[in-house]
Amino acid sequence: MIRGVIIMNDQGKPRLVKFYEFQPMEKQQELIRSIYRILCSRAENVSNFVKVDSLFGPDVRLVYKTYATLYFVFIFDSSENELAMLDLMQVFVETMDKCFSNVCELDVVFNFNKVHTILDEIILGGQVLETSSSQVVKAVEEISRLS
Amino acid sequence: MEQLKTIGRELAMGSQGGFGQSKEFLDLIKSIGEARSKAEEDRIVVREIETLKARLSSPNTPKFKLKEYLIRLLYVEMLGHDASFGYIHAVKMTHDENLQLKRTGYLAVTLFLNEDHDLIILIVNTIQKDLKSDNFLVVCAALNAVCRLINEETIPAVLPQVVELLGHQKEAVRKKAVMALHRFYQRAPGSVSHLVSNFRKRLCDNDPGVMGATLCPLFDLITIDVDSYKDLVVSFVNILKQVAERRLPKSYDYHQMPAPFIQIKLLKILALLGSGDKKASEQMYTIVGDIMRKSDSTTNIGNAILYECIRCVSSLHPNPKLIEAAADAISKFLRSDSHNLKYLGIDALSRLIKISPEIAEQHQLAVIDCLEDPDDTLKRKTFELLYKMTKSSNVEVIVDRMIDYMKSIIDNHYKTEIASRCVELAEQFAPSNQWFIQTMNKVFEHAGDLVNAKVVHNLMRLIAEGFGEDDDTADSQLRSSAVESYLQIMGEPKLPSAFLQVICWVLGEYGTADEKYSASYITGKLCDVAEAHSTDDTVKVVTALMKIYSFEIAAGRTVDILPECQSLIEEMLASHSTDLQQRAYELQAILTLDAHAVEKIMPMNSTCDDIEIDKNLSFLDGYVQQSLENGAEPYIPESERSGMSNISNFKSQEDHEPSIHALRFEAYELPKPSLPPNVPPVLASSTELVPIPELSYGAETLQSATSASDSGPSDLKLRLDGVQRKWGRPAYPSPTPPSTSTPDTGKIHESTQRDSVSNSNPKIRDVVSYDSRKQKQVEISPEKQKLAASLFGGASKTERKQPSTTHKISKPQTDKSRPSKASTTDTAIKTSQPPPDLMDLGEPSGASSAPSIDPFEQLEGLLDLTHDATSVNVGGVGAPTEPSDFMSLFSDMSLNVPSDDVTNTNGVGGITVENSVQQLNKGPNLKEALQKDALVRQVGVTPSGQNPNLFKDLLG
Repeated sequence: MIRGVIIMNDQGKPRLVKFYEFQPMEKQQELIRSIYRILCSRAENVSNFVKVDSLFGPDVRLVYKTYATLYFVFIFDSSENELAMLDLMQVFVETMDKCFSNVCELDVVFNFNKVHTILDEIILGGQVLETSSSQVVKAVEEISRLS
Repeated sequence: MEQLKTIGRELAMGSQGGFGQSKEFLDLIKSIGEARSKAEEDRIVVREIETLKARLSSPNTPKFKLKEYLIRLLYVEMLGHDASFGYIHAVKMTHDENLQLKRTGYLAVTLFLNEDHDLIILIVNTIQKDLKSDNFLVVCAALNAVCRLINEETIPAVLPQVVELLGHQKEAVRKKAVMALHRFYQRAPGSVSHLVSNFRKRLCDNDPGVMGATLCPLFDLITIDVDSYKDLVVSFVNILKQVAERRLPKSYDYHQMPAPFIQIKLLKILALLGSGDKKASEQMYTIVGDIMRKSDSTTNIGNAILYECIRCVSSLHPNPKLIEAAADAISKFLRSDSHNLKYLGIDALSRLIKISPEIAEQHQLAVIDCLEDPDDTLKRKTFELLYKMTKSSNVEVIVDRMIDYMKSIIDNHYKTEIASRCVELAEQFAPSNQWFIQTMNKVFEHAGDLVNAKVVHNLMRLIAEGFGEDDDTADSQLRSSAVESYLQIMGEPKLPSAFLQVICWVLGEYGTADEKYSASYITGKLCDVAEAHSTDDTVKVVTALMKIYSFEIAAGRTVDILPECQSLIEEMLASHSTDLQQRAYELQAILTLDAHAVEKIMPMNSTCDDIEIDKNLSFLDGYVQQSLENGAEPYIPESERSGMSNISNFKSQEDHEPSIHALRFEAYELPKPSLPPNVPPVLASSTELVPIPELSYGAETLQSATSASDSGPSDLKLRLDGVQRKWGRPAYPSPTPPSTSTPDTGKIHESTQRDSVSNSNPKIRDVVSYDSRKQKQVEISPEKQKLAASLFGGASKTERKQPSTTHKISKPQTDKSRPSKASTTDTAIKTSQPPPDLMDLGEPSGASSAPSIDPFEQLEGLLDLTHDATSVNVGGVGAPTEPSDFMSLFSDMSLNVPSDDVTNTNGVGGITVENSVQQLNKGPNLKEALQKDALVRQVGVTPSGQNPNLFKDLLG
C-alpha cells in the first residue's frame, strides 16, 4: 500500500502532503524534514529509491523524482513495485500538466485543492485507484464543470 | 472602496483564467516565499492565522470566501502551524449544498482529522446523506471521505449504502465503493467478512478501471488466505492475457504498454497463487513467458513489468525456461547504466537465487561493482543480497565487508540492522571461534551500544563454555586469545558500554588464568579503563578487580594492590552510587579473608556450574522461629497482600489492621491543576505524602496495595519509601545496569546460540582455493577478482560453463539493440518541438540525460572484461563446458531479437502519433504560459531570490 505522497520544493517547503495513515501534525513536519534531509544528501545520477524503514517501519521505501523545482515523493511498502511507482508519479505529473497546461510550482501552490482532487482520483486510501491519465482528466473535468 | 477594488481585481483574474485565488493568498505565498528566516515566516503565518480566525468566525463572511479561507487554513497547517480552531468550519462546510464547497469541506476534514477525532460524529450523518445523493459527484466526494474518516465503530452506519453503491451505474462510483469496502476490510476485517464475495463479483466488471481497482483488495485477501482463491487462477490468467493482447481501451495504454499497472498487479497476484503450487504454476507459465518476451526494455514501465515477471517466476514452481529468461533479464538489468535498473537487478537476483543459486555466480563482477557504487540505496540492496547468499565458505569476506561498511554509516537505525546481521551471520557460519571473537570485537567497537544485550551474553557464554566438546586446551586457547585481544583493545580511549562489559568480564574471569599476565598488569589496565569511562562502567571494573584479587588469594599468592587501584577503591568507598559503594566494601572485605573462604565465595572457573537456589530459604527457619518467639509478627504471603484490588480479598485485608493503619496518606484527593488530566493524582502527590489519621475508604484500598511489599507493621517511614518507589518518580536514576549482576554471579541464563555455532563446520578449503587462481587473473583488477572468487565460493565451476561463445552471442545482441534504441531517442528529440513540454513524456526513465561517454562502448568494455575473465579461467582450469545450455540460450535469443524489433518500430510509430496529438493539444500552451506568467507578475508575485524557478514547467 502507498503510505503517503509529498510534493515539496527544493527548499524543503511542503507543497502538498498526503498521508494515507493519519499522522499528527508535528510528526508530519518531522517526517517532511527527515525526508528532505535524505533527498538533499542524494547525489545526482543515483537511483530514485531510498529505503526509509527508520522513519516508517520495516520494508517501507520511497521513490522520488525532481521535476523542475519540485521533489515528488511517493512512500510505499513492499507490496508495490518501485519502478512502477516511479511511473505512477509520471502519470500524476502528466495529468497535472494536462489539467493546468504547463504545470509549474505556482500552480501546485495555488490550486492546492485541485491537485488534491487529481491525486484522489489516482490514489484512494493508499491503493492505486486509476492509472489512466485521460480517465483522471475526464473525472476532474467533470467535477469542475458540474459544480 | 478598498473592498470593491479587491473584488474587481478578483473578477478580472477569474476572467483571465488565473489561479482563482485572491490577492491576499498570493501575497501570503509571496511573503512566505521571500521570508529570510524561519522566525520571519512564523510571524507571517501567525498573522495569517489571526486573520483567518476572525474571518472564519465572522457571520458576515460570504460563503465563497469561506472556501478560500479554509484552503488557506490547510496551507497554514501544512507549514506546521496549529489550525485546530478551524476544524469545526471544515465540518460545517461539508454540510453545504454547493458541491464545490462540500468538496472543499470534505478535503479539509480528511486532511485535518483522524478517524478517532471527536468531530467525526458530526460528519457521519452528512456522509450517510451524501452517499444517497442523486449527484454522483457528491457520492464520490463522500466516498473519498469514507475511505479516510470511518473507523471501526462507524462502519455499520455507512456499510449498507457503500455495498449498494457497488452496483451504481457510474463506474467512478463503483470503483470508489470497492476501495471503501477494502478500507473497511483493512480497518476491521470482521465487520465486512461476509461481503468479500463482492470483490469477486466486481472482478468481472465491464469497466477496466473498476476491475483494476478490485485487484487491490483481492491482492490483500489472497495474501492472507491463498487457498480460498485458487479457483480464480484461470480468471486472472485470462484477464492478464487479454490485457497483454491489448484488448483494453486505448486510454489505459501508458507509454505504448497496454495497461502496465494492471499487468503488474496481476503478476503479483499470480505470484501469490502459484507459490508452492505446481498445478497452478503450470497454468501461468505461458502467459508469464509471453509477457516477458513482449515487454519493452527500453522504457521504464517495460522494465517494471519485466522485473515483476522475475519476481513472479522466482515464486512460482520452478520452470527452467522461465528461470533462464529471468536470469537473462537480470543480466540486462545489471549491465544497465541506470542505477534504478541495477537496483532492481540486484533485488531480482536475490529472489531468483532462492530457486536457482548458481545464477549468482555469473554476475559476480556486476555485484561487486554495485557494492562499491557511491549510491547508498544500491549498496544497501547489495548487502541484502550478500546476506542472503552467505555460506560458511564466504562468510569471512562478507562479514568483513559488512563491518567495513558499517563503520561508514551514520544512521543508527541502519547501523543496528547491519550489526545484528553481522552477528547473526557470524553466529551461524563462523569458521572458527577465534574468528568469531575477533568479528564480535569489531562489531562492538563500531556499533557499540547498538548491539542487542543478548549478543553480549552469547559472546560471554561462548567464551565460558568454549566449543562444547571436552577439549580443554582448545577452550583455554580461545580464552587466552580473547584476553590478548581485549588487552589490546582496552587502549582505545572510549569503548561502548556493552563491549566494556564483555572485556571486564573476560579479564576478570580469565585474565590471570594462563599466568601469562600478572595480576598487577591486568588490574593496572582495568584501573585505566575505570578512569577513562563513566561511573556506570566502573561497576564492571570493580567486579573484575574483585575476581582477580580473589583468584590471587585463593591461589595462595600475596596480593599487592597497585597504588592507583587503592585510590580507585577509596574513591568508590565514598561514591554517591550505593551500588558502587557496596561493591567497594565487598571488595575490601574479601581482601581481608583467608584463601579458603575466598575460594568458597569466588570459585575459580565456575561460570558454567549451576547454582542451586533454595527458594524456600529453609536455612532461615531457625532464625524466623526465634523471632516469632520473641514476639514478631508472622509473615504474610505475597498472594494475600497483592490481591488488594480484588473486592473478595478486601475483607481479609481488613483483618490486617496494621497495614491499613499505615496507609493513611491524604494527597490522593488533591491533584495538581497543572497536570494533564489523564495522569492519576497518585503520581503527583507521591512526593508530598503526609500521614493523616482520617481518610476516605476508597483511597485505602489503593494504598494498602502500595504497602504490600513491606511487612513491617508500624514503621511509617519505611513504608513511605515503598510508596515512592512504586508509584512516584524515582528520586535518583539507578546507576546499575541490570546486566552487571550477571558476571557477578557468573551465571548466564539464556542459551540459544551455542548449538548453531558448534554445528557449523569451518570450510576453509573453498576460501583457499581461489588463491591458486588469482595470479592468472591479473589483467582485470586482481582485487576484484579475488573478492569475487571468495564471495561466490564455487565460482570456478560455473565460470567454466561460459566458453568464449558467450561473447559472440551477446555482442550481436547489443549491436541490434543499439540502432533501435538510438532511433527511439532520435524521435523523442525530434518530436519535442515545443521544447520544454514533451521531452519527458517520450523518455520518462531519465535515460535521455546520457552522459558524454558512450554507454554502449562501456557496455562492450564490460563484456570484454567478463570475456577476459572467463577465457582466462578456462585457460587456467581447462574444464569441460556445457554447450547444450548455451545453444538453448542462443536459440531463445535469436527468437527474441526480431520480436523486440517489431515492438520497437511499433513503439516509435506510437510515439510520433501521440506526440503529434499532444502538439495539437499543446498548441496554445506557450501563449497560455506567457499569459500566466504575465498575470502573476502583474499581481505582484515575482520569483524571489530564494526560489527563482517558481514558474518553471515541471515537465520542461
